[in-house]
Amino acid sequence: MAVTATDVAARAEERGRDRHFIGGSVFAAIGVLLALAAFFALGADRTTTFRLDVTLTDARWTIPTRPAVIALAAVCAAAGLWLLGGIRQRLYKIASTCAVAAIVLALICWAVSQPGQSFRAESILAGSLFLSLPFIFGALAGVVCERSGVINIGIEGQFLMGAFAGVFVANLADNVYVGLLGAMLAGSLSTLLLALLATRFQVNQVVVGVILNLLALGFTGFMYDQLKTTPGANTAYGVPQNALGGLGLGFLSDIPLAGPILFDQNLFVYIGLAMVFVVWFLLFRTRWGLRTRSVGEHPAAADSMGVGVNRLRFWNVTAAGLVSGFGGAFFTIANSLAFNKNMTAGLGFVALAVMIVGRWNPIGVLAGALIFGFASQMAEDLDAAGNSIIPGPFLQMLPYAATLVVVAGLIGRAKAPAADGVPYNPGDE
Amino acid sequence: MNVKTAAEPPEAPPERREPFMTLFGRYLIEANSVMVTIWSLLLAFAIGAVLLIVSDEGVRGTWSYFFDRPSDALSASWEVVSSAYFALFEGAVLNFNTLDRFAAGTAGFGDVLRPLSETLTYATPLIFTGLAVGLAFRAGLFNIGAQGQLIMGMLGALVIGFGISAPAIVHLPAAVIAGGLAGAAFGAVPGVLKATTGAHEVISSIMLNNIAALFLVWAIGTGFLHSETRSELVTKPVDDTAALPHLLGFLGGSLRVNLALVLGFAAALFVWWLLSKSTFGYRIRAVGFNSHASATAGMNIGRTYATTMGTAGAFAGLAGASLALGINAGGVTTNTALEYGFDGITVALLGRAKPGGIVAAAVLFGALKAGALSAQPGVPVDISILLQAIIVLFIAAPAMVKAILRLRTPRGGLVTLEAKGW
Repeated sequence: MAVTATDVAARAEERGRDRHFIGGSVFAAIGVLLALAAFFALGADRTTTFRLDVTLTDARWTIPTRPAVIALAAVCAAAGLWLLGGIRQRLYKIASTCAVAAIVLALICWAVSQPGQSFRAESILAGSLFLSLPFIFGALAGVVCERSGVINIGIEGQFLMGAFAGVFVANLADNVYVGLLGAMLAGSLSTLLLALLATRFQVNQVVVGVILNLLALGFTGFMYDQLKTTPGANTAYGVPQNALGGLGLGFLSDIPLAGPILFDQNLFVYIGLAMVFVVWFLLFRTRWGLRTRSVGEHPAAADSMGVGVNRLRFWNVTAAGLVSGFGGAFFTIANSLAFNKNMTAGLGFVALAVMIVGRWNPIGVLAGALIFGFASQMAEDLDAAGNSIIPGPFLQMLPYAATLVVVAGLIGRAKAPAADGVPYNPGDE
Repeated sequence: MNVKTAAEPPEAPPERREPFMTLFGRYLIEANSVMVTIWSLLLAFAIGAVLLIVSDEGVRGTWSYFFDRPSDALSASWEVVSSAYFALFEGAVLNFNTLDRFAAGTAGFGDVLRPLSETLTYATPLIFTGLAVGLAFRAGLFNIGAQGQLIMGMLGALVIGFGISAPAIVHLPAAVIAGGLAGAAFGAVPGVLKATTGAHEVISSIMLNNIAALFLVWAIGTGFLHSETRSELVTKPVDDTAALPHLLGFLGGSLRVNLALVLGFAAALFVWWLLSKSTFGYRIRAVGFNSHASATAGMNIGRTYATTMGTAGAFAGLAGASLALGINAGGVTTNTALEYGFDGITVALLGRAKPGGIVAAAVLFGALKAGALSAQPGVPVDISILLQAIIVLFIAAPAMVKAILRLRTPRGGLVTLEAKGW
């Protein structure tokens, strides 16, 4: 039977007006439940205050909480009904983003509605950017590795190595910048092992990645114990808080909202943001990037075009360790903390999830990292504020739970590079 | 774990039988799985020795004038390495001090057995978590979530352990089963997620580990679980009727090894039966070997993932029960779970995901743990994690051992883990 052009168009139209039953009913149900909960559980006198707490300390906007939450819940429910009724494919993302944003905003309004609390917009957004850094560095390292076809599940271990070596080398050299260099080299040493095992010895990369995590955990813990008795081996080093101040640009931090968020951060933030664009440019605009991506998608084809598959993979993975090792220094040097056992607390794996959320693309990684940074910052803030309805441990679960939801919800649709995790052995083809 | 042999065509059988010593000698220089295991252990202890030397300040000092007086550096290095490993041995197998006192009549026989009892005590949860990881390996799943499943099992056993009152014959099995069920429910989650959404079990089970650890912090603080007599973060003790009886109590109160060890052996036996004799085990191995072929043959891959992870979780939950009803019957803290779940990964890898191998590996790593904990503060406690990680790194990459030591490829190829993608 011949397929006519009109058939195709009709089918495309049919596909275009998909009904999203699950998503739609979930959003509608959440919207209705949220509105009902707000109506019955929220006192009518509750208000939510938004403040610019750093630059314009007097400015504040206060809204009554109950109507605000109910309005946002209505937005969410409306988006859900829209999805249920059928929607064009390209509007699907917009509708579901609106719904999720409405839920998050409603919950924030609710959470900071207690007397004496306010949403300190500048501190929270600046903190979110800062807390997204480990995810940015870790996920970028993951992107470089996986785009070349090597699964790097050992980001956690590279973080630990970087965190430890950063402080240790800074103490040895009495210079924090040398410490940063040490952190990068330590991370790279960890990925060097992964690269060697993945390209030369063709191992199961997931298993070896997990073992490398354990190795880093054991090694740093061991060294921490051994150096505990040595004075001045694990003293905290930090970098200046306002990196732009040193360049004579300190006045920029007085701009409301943008100032504290973008212009009053330390070195790590600027390097992190720069790395996102550098890695994006390298991957998608250079010859190296094209080769790397081809090696990750179809190594045999790349090989036939004269690309040394295993050599390129080896150097890419080793170089990615420089980035994740630098990310490890975030835990110690960026926070001006001394090293402590297992201080990365599983965030290396969250970075892996951020990489998946970002769909193996640096720009997507930035967006995902900011969302996770915001979740971490909100959890920290609500936890510190005490009198929260939700117990502290549950707030601390937020980034992990979000990762779980994201991985479960996205991984089926987000496509990994085709040859990710498959060793390339020219003789096999 | 999927054992893949990079097969080479078998050569024609030799006409003449070679003498035993020739065969044995050839066996020793081959990279077969026994020799790779032995070399991995030796290499790991050698690397551990180097790290001990490098990280010790006093010894580093003597190396700075090595060329003037090499004997100083060498003897100091020997001293620090041998004393550390000797302390591990004394804590795990036999303490010669106690032996002397036993010979002089000032210590009982139970005191001599104490290090061995500690080794078996620490090996017990490792047997369970090793089985939890190993069973999932056989289905091609990588269960890193044993730590979280163990924590949930611990809570499940604890709640039944003090929540109901019954005679021991009912109470103890009920509490043990509750632990297993709690672990199974928690363990099934990554399997179900993988089956329904394709989420990789490594990430989801790691996230569940973190969630379980934080849940434990919260749960211990609640009025229902928190100890009524102690102010620090510790739970109520389980009833005596739910506590696992000590096996060697008649030899002395300090011998902590308890009935859970026997349960561990039974569990290993059960896994052996499950994998080699049952339909379910056949399905596990088939899916692990080639999931596409199994699907074509009519097996439900998703259901196999979910049930395998659930069963694996049950074993990790039993590990938790063995802690909550055994050595920590007096109350569970946030620190009770140690890293038993993560150690399960190394146990399963070293044991090549076979029940017998897992028991042997669990005893070895239990000995490392017992040794490291008893050698405090002279030896860094994390030396046990470090040595374990190095050992299994070599086990997972036999080609590296072969390349380092220039061993020969055995007939039939190297035994290695099958590499695969997300």
